[in-house]
Amino acid sequence: MAIQGFLVVSLLFSCLAATSYGLTFSSLQESLIVTASPKHGQVLSAGEDNIVVTWSFNKSLAAGTDSSYKTVKFKLCYAPVSQQDRAWRKTEDHLNKDKTCQHNIVTKPYSSSNNTFTWTVERDVPTATYFIRAYAYNSADHEVAYGQTTDAHKTTNLFNVQAISGRHVSLDIASICFSAFSVVSLFGFFFLENRKAKMSQAK
Amino acid sequence: MWPSQLHKKPYVTPQSTIAPFKLTVQASECGQVDCTRSRHLYQISRFPSAESVLRIWKSLKLAHLQRLSNMEVSYGAPPESVQKKFALPVDSEHKATEFRLFSVAAPHMRAFHLSWVSFFACFVSTFAAPPLLPIIRDDLDLTATDIGNAGIAAVSGAAFARVAMGTACDLFGPRLASSALTLITAPAVYCTAIANSPASFILVRFFTGFSLATFVSTQFWMSSLFSSKVVGTANGVAGGWGNLGGGATQLIMPLVFDLIHNIGATKFTAWRIAFFIPALFQTLSAYGIFFLGQDLPDGNYSQLHKSGDKHKDNFSQVFYHAITNYRGWILALTYGYCFGVELTIDNIIAQYFYDRFNVNLHTAGIIAASFGLANLFSRPAGGILSDIMSKRYGMRGRLWALWIFQTLGGIFCIFLGKVGSLGVSIAVMIIFSVFVQAACGLTFGIVPFVSRRSLGIVSGMTGGGGNVGAVLTQVIFFRGSRYSTETGITLMGIMIICCSLVIMSIYFPQWGGMFCGPSSKVTTEEDYYMSEWNSAEKERGIHMASMKFSENSRSERGRRVESAPTPINGTPTTQTLSSALEFVKRKEHAEKITIKPIKEYAHTTSTSICPSKLEIDIASIPKSLIIYTNKFFIAKPKFLAILGD
Repeated sequence: MAIQGFLVVSLLFSCLAATSYGLTFSSLQESLIVTASPKHGQVLSAGEDNIVVTWSFNKSLAAGTDSSYKTVKFKLCYAPVSQQDRAWRKTEDHLNKDKTCQHNIVTKPYSSSNNTFTWTVERDVPTATYFIRAYAYNSADHEVAYGQTTDAHKTTNLFNVQAISGRHVSLDIASICFSAFSVVSLFGFFFLENRKAKMSQAK
Repeated sequence: MWPSQLHKKPYVTPQSTIAPFKLTVQASECGQVDCTRSRHLYQISRFPSAESVLRIWKSLKLAHLQRLSNMEVSYGAPPESVQKKFALPVDSEHKATEFRLFSVAAPHMRAFHLSWVSFFACFVSTFAAPPLLPIIRDDLDLTATDIGNAGIAAVSGAAFARVAMGTACDLFGPRLASSALTLITAPAVYCTAIANSPASFILVRFFTGFSLATFVSTQFWMSSLFSSKVVGTANGVAGGWGNLGGGATQLIMPLVFDLIHNIGATKFTAWRIAFFIPALFQTLSAYGIFFLGQDLPDGNYSQLHKSGDKHKDNFSQVFYHAITNYRGWILALTYGYCFGVELTIDNIIAQYFYDRFNVNLHTAGIIAASFGLANLFSRPAGGILSDIMSKRYGMRGRLWALWIFQTLGGIFCIFLGKVGSLGVSIAVMIIFSVFVQAACGLTFGIVPFVSRRSLGIVSGMTGGGGNVGAVLTQVIFFRGSRYSTETGITLMGIMIICCSLVIMSIYFPQWGGMFCGPSSKVTTEEDYYMSEWNSAEKERGIHMASMKFSENSRSERGRRVESAPTPINGTPTTQTLSSALEFVKRKEHAEKITIKPIKEYAHTTSTSICPSKLEIDIASIPKSLIIYTNKFFIAKPKFLAILGD
């Protein structure tokens, strides 16, 4: 009886622990400095324009802080103006629920300075306002630190991306043709129906 | 105009032997109903018992009613030649008396399959966008408000279109009406592929949503082709399997999208191409209906109108009687909280699971699909349950069943918004879907009895009410960011429970309501349905279909002993004239009349005038005497026959 009680409690406890284990953004240290080439308000075209990202460890922090950093993952994140009235892009403190950064740029192994890379904005990036954030991961693949191109209030250095529309001329033509065909068949139906009725009346 | 003196003369009395007896049935002139081209076939056979007199009366009455509605008269089994024409057994109106799901025989089952497939296609098109919204919202830069508005637009068009469809079916026939609507909304689906802004997205969803009015043509068509014994099943299955489209689309669209995306198109192009599939399906189904379907067992409306075999009712009268019947409005409101809720969930559920539980697009689609797929059995089951409750408890049983199921649906809706784990949420959603969809089926078990004359418009109003409920619910709870989706779902459940309470106010004087029995004043089904016709119309005799329906609807009294005044037990053998009349008038419509035709006794084919006199020989007449006067025939022609002693 006691053992069953203990099992239940431990099960509940582990569930609780699992959910509360999730890291929070506020627990991470901002120890990386990240800069990106687009200026504030610049509009980039998806699929065409490049972003040059430069990043390094913030030397003003204590020396051994970055000992656990193994990899750095860069993500394209939505600015607050693009999150308005869009609950699917909401910022949450729990990292596994946070939806701010939905587009992965690249993953690089960690090194403390002289890092730079160029990335072409992918074709499936939607039209919105963005900034870039880098998460540093330890060997257990948990986030331990971050850096971002904008300030804490996400107001500076925001750039826009103009997405592809996905429309093609061939699609447009096909749509119009099929639509016209439907309407014409409808008139055809009425004409056929009248003719059938007149024929049966004449019989 | 009508020689009333004629009816007081007794005719030849029979001997109680087997000598042939001449029964002269004298019919006066026809009324204004078109009597040309009607064939009159009277079949009377030998009867051993006194009951048979009643049958003679009934059969003659029926024959006359049929004649007035310009249909070929035959009862018992129709003549061999007619029976051979149809693959299914048919009644005297050539409506099928059996529902064979796996047959495609023309015209009945073929029409059934065509109508549910096209309704399914319209549902697929209308709800093709929701499962792909996570892609579309990024492509078109939609906000939550835009998505909410599009969802509302999708279901709001049909609110009015359903009422208009009822009228169109009356005027042009369900085949032409539904194929025309399906074809005219197909361009909206094609043009979804070229939408490029929130405004254009809302517009295409609005116009696509009009296609949901094919629900009315489906129900109307089934009611024209299937007799009242199986019409509930036919309507329930056709409606349920059409609604299935709302679930199937949540599976089909992500699959089609994936296929196209894997072939090489980018996401923002792939979803556009994917919309061609439902559009083509819709176009093909319209073609199928036009070329393979048939409005009525005997032909299409346009042919029948021109040949004079079908009579047109007065639109303004039909409309007036529909909107002044409060029960139609109540059912429209409650249908808004079972079917309207179903439409709302079709719009929001994929996004809900995608966003709240972080499942991928595929999985969200499958979960959302299972909501709509429950329609495969739950809506037909609702219709069947309604018929079962009616057999035992009559109309009151139907009302109670509706209220109970709809309230339970509301309760499970409240749970759905509250549970936070994925597995329990899916389970609750499925239970919720069964109750809500069964409530839809149960509603349409009651609708046919609200009005007989205005059945098309009442059905259209109820159907439209469903859409209005969907619009209201989405405007209040699922637009913009005021409530989170889960809070909206819980509040919607509370609203379902509150709005279902009005079912308690439905009251039929002849059958009762949820809490009251039938009226203490003597009210019969005839009184209720005849109140829709004024005396001028009754004079013309165009109300006869309602008379027949009133007789058939007596089954809504349930199993309880008839509590109408002075039931007379036993058969009228030596009773007085007046009690015999009472008995015949009040007798419940129960057993089937089984008459074996022996020989055709009288047959006339008139081309320009109605027959005025028919002579029928009857062998071995029983002793009882029945006089029937114009008390039974409220319209012309009236005739009197005295049989027996």
